[in-house]
Amino acid sequence: MRKIIFLVTVFFFITGLLSTSEIWAQKEKGKPKLLRLTFYYPVGVAGPLARVIGEMTDKFNKEHEGRIEVVPVYSGDYDPTMQKVQTAIMAGNPPDIFMVEISELPTLLAMDSVLSLDDYVKKLGKEYWDDFFPPFRENAVIGGKVYGIPFQRSTPVLYWNKEVFKAAGLDPEKPPKTWNELKDYATKLTVRDAKSGDVKQWGVTISGGWNDWLFEAFVRQNGSFLISADGLTANFDSKESIEALDFWVELKHRLKVGPPHSTWGSTPPDFVGGRTALLYHSTGILTFLKRSAKFDFGVTFMPQKKTFGAAVGGANLMIAKKIPKERQEAAWKYIEWMSNVKNTAEWSAASGYVAVRQSAYDDPVMKEHVSKNPEYLVARDQLKFAHGKMMAKNFQKVREILKRQLDDSAAGKIVPAEALKIAQKEIQAVIK
Amino acid sequence: MKFNRNFRHRTGLHLALMLVSLITVAPYLWILSTSLKFRTEVFTPTPKWIPWPINIQNYLEMFEMAPFHLYLINTIIVVTGILAVQLVTITLAAYVFARRNFWGKEFFFFLFLIQMMIPIHATFLPNFLTLKNFNLLNTRIAMMLPFFASGYGTFLLRQAFRQIPRSLEDAAVIDGCGGLRFLWHVLIPLAKPTLIAFSIISIVSHWNDYLWPLIVTDTPEVRTLTIGLGMFVQQESGADWTLLMAATAFVTAPMMIFFLVFQKKFVESFMLSGMKG
Repeated sequence: MRKIIFLVTVFFFITGLLSTSEIWAQKEKGKPKLLRLTFYYPVGVAGPLARVIGEMTDKFNKEHEGRIEVVPVYSGDYDPTMQKVQTAIMAGNPPDIFMVEISELPTLLAMDSVLSLDDYVKKLGKEYWDDFFPPFRENAVIGGKVYGIPFQRSTPVLYWNKEVFKAAGLDPEKPPKTWNELKDYATKLTVRDAKSGDVKQWGVTISGGWNDWLFEAFVRQNGSFLISADGLTANFDSKESIEALDFWVELKHRLKVGPPHSTWGSTPPDFVGGRTALLYHSTGILTFLKRSAKFDFGVTFMPQKKTFGAAVGGANLMIAKKIPKERQEAAWKYIEWMSNVKNTAEWSAASGYVAVRQSAYDDPVMKEHVSKNPEYLVARDQLKFAHGKMMAKNFQKVREILKRQLDDSAAGKIVPAEALKIAQKEIQAVIK
Repeated sequence: MKFNRNFRHRTGLHLALMLVSLITVAPYLWILSTSLKFRTEVFTPTPKWIPWPINIQNYLEMFEMAPFHLYLINTIIVVTGILAVQLVTITLAAYVFARRNFWGKEFFFFLFLIQMMIPIHATFLPNFLTLKNFNLLNTRIAMMLPFFASGYGTFLLRQAFRQIPRSLEDAAVIDGCGGLRFLWHVLIPLAKPTLIAFSIISIVSHWNDYLWPLIVTDTPEVRTLTIGLGMFVQQESGADWTLLMAATAFVTAPMMIFFLVFQKKFVESFMLSGMKG
């Protein structure tokens, strides 16, 4: 018995060693003419998206056989992807093409690791760049230079459960349109146990986890912003922001019609399970909800205060700066191909992400997709009122600071004006 | 009468134990149950333990998303590879620290202890650079190499070796058995429980490793199970629960089987090592 275990161990170990040397051999065999590019990408929404990216890339590789071969590398969620990209850049071994969460751009620029795409974009003319929805473009540009091409992009929207609307005596076809209506509806939709007073159904859930992103939308709806477009000046303690946070505290703490804390991943199941009537979440969950919900539900704009408003999210395609010119050109060929009208339409239909180019909605694939599922148009239409997401250096720290204040306020531990004053001071120090 | 009391005492004990084990087993049963459900059956107002109708499709769909059979083979190679080398390095190092005297012994042992205290993330970049220089990125070796030496294992084993009385060594030396032979024939058999305990910890922790394998590997040919599992947890949209649970069941099953088969040995070794402190 002991001998067998020993032999098995040795066997696995040796096969491990042999297979690694095989990879060496393969690497050396590659013909000199062929450019093999690496592409790190995250997957942000459910579904076999890694396979979709693989299939799209295969098509590209076939068209460029013998010259360019792009190897797509799945690298986890947004955070692990950023870590993998950063580690590789610091080690002087950057991926040729990569996609990271949009707000990380200033951090990567500070590392001098992103190639400006200005020349490439100019060569394609206005019809290319201007075809991308304006708020998506905002997060690709810093200091007047283009650094990324929008690809997997989303925005938060409001979902409502039509059946519980009926049960509460509300018109199931009329979701709340303003903050006041939202408060009113949420109060009517909250169901408490008659004896214990425990909440059985929340009126509205403003999801935690990415609550910094949702909070930015509320501030936009109130006509203000959180960080200036150049990423250098924080504006967290404006009158409008304090008002927005106070509205949250009213819903989550004073009226108790929404959970004060939740996680990003747990709230879609809550909605599907009927534990919340209204849900603020990314448009990226629409496909999941359609497949999982047993009841009729609707998608609509997030309610307005002074205006409708949202901050867009997702990731852009970028090229590494410190790679040879010929690799950069090949990388651009891939990005240009991935962002052509037909491919953006196909990607949107397969993933549920918003199609990044306006003309994609005239593509036959897309037309068929949205005629069957008109809900997918809500996020696109809301883009008229949307803005770029805040961006700054050390964005992970910025999020951490803001989320802490948002959570403490929702728990009633601190008043909004105080919380945002602290956030303002700490964040300004971090992004300078 | 006596039998009766004994019987009652036993049933009470067993009932209590069953309750405790139920708490431990419940999440696993829930994983299995969810992995066999349809998507619309996952979130029902009242929890549904028995999935009906059963949906085996999830397991097939899971294999479509990623080559899990490859991942399984890779994980086994990486985990056994790490353990095999670790067992050699920690036994030799522990032997030297426990039984030999040399200049700077305390200092070097201190360095070993410090290795346990450095957070693993802080070592990612230097390790990555080393592997890059050796041209070892995107290989199975890359996932194993940083773990070939283990401060924790060395420490654990050194303590075990020190508990073994000196007189044993003296006797062995008088009989003409010194050095490595003494290590092989006397120390290792006596420290077996510690070695087994360490092996379990090593296997489980490297089976579950996620970030390091993700960072150093690029292609499915060398990637491990946890990376496949990560594909089902999405940041923007939440998880695809039925597939995630099917994948979780598949990823944890080998560990479960491993534990069930060797259960008796494990418990024995833990009890022994526990008594020795």
